[in-house]
Amino acid sequence: MKAKKRFVNQVLGLLALATVLSACEKDNRAEPKSVLKGRVVFNGEPVGVRSNGVQLEIWQRGYQLFTKIPVYVNQDGTFSASLFDGNYKLVRLRGNGPWVDNTDTIDVQLRGTQELDVPVQPFFVFENETYSKGEGKVNATFNLKQINTSRNLERVNLYIGTTTIVDPNNNAGNAQEVAANITDLTKSITLTATLPAALAGRDYVYARIGVKTSGVGEMLFGEPQKIMLK
Amino acid sequence: MQRFTKYILACLILILSGCAEQWLDRKPQNIILEEQVWNDTKMITGLLANYYDRLPAHTSLTTGWAEFAAYDEAMWSNNDDGRNNIVSYPFDRWRLWDYGLIRDINLAIENIETFGTSLSAGQKAQFSAEFRFLRAFVYFELVKRMGGVPLVTKQLIYDFNGDPSYLQQPRNKEEEVYDFIASELDAIKEQLGNDGSNTRANKFTAMALKSRAMLYAGSIAKYNNLMASPISTPGGEVGIPASRAADYYAKSLAASEEIINSGKYSLYKTNPNLGENFYDAITKKSANTEVILAQDYLVSKDKRHGFTYDNIARNVREDNLSSSSITPSLNLVEDYEYLNGTPGTLKTRNAANTDYVYYDKMEDVFANKDARLYGTVIYPGTSFRGTPVQIQAGVKVWNNASGSFQNVESNTLGATYDDGGLLTGSSGPQRSQTEVTNSGFYLRKYVDQTAMSSTRGIRSDMWWVRFRLGEIYLNAAEAALETGKTANALKYVNVVRERAGFGENSLKTLTIERLQNERRVELAFEDHRVWDLIRWRTAHEVWNGNASNPDAVIYALYPYRVVRPGHPTHNKYVFDKLVAPRFRAPRFFQMGNYYSSIDQAIIDNNPKIVRNPFH
Repeated sequence: MKAKKRFVNQVLGLLALATVLSACEKDNRAEPKSVLKGRVVFNGEPVGVRSNGVQLEIWQRGYQLFTKIPVYVNQDGTFSASLFDGNYKLVRLRGNGPWVDNTDTIDVQLRGTQELDVPVQPFFVFENETYSKGEGKVNATFNLKQINTSRNLERVNLYIGTTTIVDPNNNAGNAQEVAANITDLTKSITLTATLPAALAGRDYVYARIGVKTSGVGEMLFGEPQKIMLK
Repeated sequence: MQRFTKYILACLILILSGCAEQWLDRKPQNIILEEQVWNDTKMITGLLANYYDRLPAHTSLTTGWAEFAAYDEAMWSNNDDGRNNIVSYPFDRWRLWDYGLIRDINLAIENIETFGTSLSAGQKAQFSAEFRFLRAFVYFELVKRMGGVPLVTKQLIYDFNGDPSYLQQPRNKEEEVYDFIASELDAIKEQLGNDGSNTRANKFTAMALKSRAMLYAGSIAKYNNLMASPISTPGGEVGIPASRAADYYAKSLAASEEIINSGKYSLYKTNPNLGENFYDAITKKSANTEVILAQDYLVSKDKRHGFTYDNIARNVREDNLSSSSITPSLNLVEDYEYLNGTPGTLKTRNAANTDYVYYDKMEDVFANKDARLYGTVIYPGTSFRGTPVQIQAGVKVWNNASGSFQNVESNTLGATYDDGGLLTGSSGPQRSQTEVTNSGFYLRKYVDQTAMSSTRGIRSDMWWVRFRLGEIYLNAAEAALETGKTANALKYVNVVRERAGFGENSLKTLTIERLQNERRVELAFEDHRVWDLIRWRTAHEVWNGNASNPDAVIYALYPYRVVRPGHPTHNKYVFDKLVAPRFRAPRFFQMGNYYSSIDQAIIDNNPKIVRNPFH
């Protein structure tokens, strides 16, 4: 009886050991190693957007479940996704980015790492941006160029922040001009933001201009600019 | 041998006769058969109770109650900071796809016809009507969150032929769902019975649901199409044509007027103290002529909840834990107008903004405000259950050398300052502690006055009001205003304002903005705010995620006692307005939040379901 009990214990111990060892075995599927990266561009230049706001969709047919892979666009207009090799369809989700809806599918044959420029047509873009600092102020001067006339201008903003991530949701101060006060797009526009007390003592701030098209949720932005205050 | 044969024979007789008497064929004790349920009015009522209990709500006293602190009515002052730090509302935040409940109701409607042989025709009609009311209620909850959903009104049975596509129903148009709700409610309203009940649906409950649903449909038809780019799908699953607006508003107004003109309900005006009266109007369960439908609770039957335990003011709590979860914001408090009709901004600084305004008593800064403020919010200088709720952030000590005040605050609640007077109130506010208000206010509405109801052992049986006449008046006012009947709109809104202490006919002109504010203050903490902003299509502007937008940020009010011996302002009270210290991320509502996303598993199972915009 005792021997039998010991035998049972030994078997149990062996089983436990086997479980522990087999559990340590690596996953049965390799992680995706191919990378699709690229930029959202207009005229070859990347388009600035709000961090964590704008997404592209990647779809892949041929499997039982058909689910989109959302790919968020970084604020400098770049994106990247780790995927398995295969054939994908990249779609510009309607009503999502600060550009004209274009639902044409872009076919992507991914084999290894691939770079891809996704062309878009914004409603407005910035030209000749210059930033300067004043006494407790930051100025931005720029021209606004209308690319597509199907929608109207709503407003332009200058956002000030302490990090390079600067947008309507991440800022410490901002200046605004509404469309009613911007009658002539051939003239340059100047926005002046007053630095809040908390920022005035800092060595530097980041500034970024953005344009809001009416009827489009997301804004289009220039590049964030580091402005030395001292 | 012969004896043995006799023995066998006796056994055989016993066994065989047992079978003849169907000894094994007994009624099961643990299964209730369809025939039993549908011929027993008590069991049907029990089933109805289950379905009433499962009606969806975004925020109520039990379901999602904490989300009252996730918008602009309040912030969260209990442990954890999740609701003060919502970077953006997720697209699935209001998702609902409760076809389990829809199927249960459809099944009930079919089974009562099939099996209910001993019920009278009248009983059958009444129960069916009540089931259909519940189904309409669920479809309204679905459409206001998801847009058009498949209208399933019969149970779907799979025949195992390998192809389920005949069961896959596409989404109906958003307007079709609203039209279905209206036609169902019209069809059943005369059969509902339940006269005078405020916990089961009667004719006027059906009209209350119709009043609200049609108002939502009308405002979506109007305001969605006023957006620079209306939210819609090509198939109409989302978006209602502008041409339908007038029709929906007219239906809403007719339903509201049917309730108002019936004379069955009246605004609660029993208590001569107008502030207390407004609290009673929502919370008094007996002789309440205002409440049309409520979800009731009863401690003695163990049907109770912990809403009072979690939200009672700190220094009147009876338990040693929790309290103070949902604390109203200064934003809401300032939206209560002064009784002379001027905006409710609190006067804490003098006109030139050079100095504080000094008050003899704390409550004086709230003097002459809308009585509904008292009924909704516990503010400095007021009591709860007869005990003063001591709200004081600290003292402001005058420094002669610098010519300015210095704040002194304590981490000990109820601490005393060097001069023997109070330093920090026993109910805070406190900048960083939990379980004590961070905004300087506490919730009064729905917090139970009954002794011991804030203990975990006893808890509360406060009821949750789903419909009340106050809302119906405001629905009527809005529908009338939107259809150009301004005189009627003024009549209805002024009745509600009169109860709040404004006097007769306090408003002479009316704008939609004024009416929107009226809904905010009358219906605060009744699960209306977020839905109202969604149907007016203003949510993405009010909560735009911008830290410099005062509507998207939660503000607090911190009272201080002035310590300046020898000066006339000594021991008077001043108030600081500030962004609530524990509040982190401005409220951010994106275009993709207007209609919640549909779960991928739903689309996998039924490829005919189209996605909502922006997802």
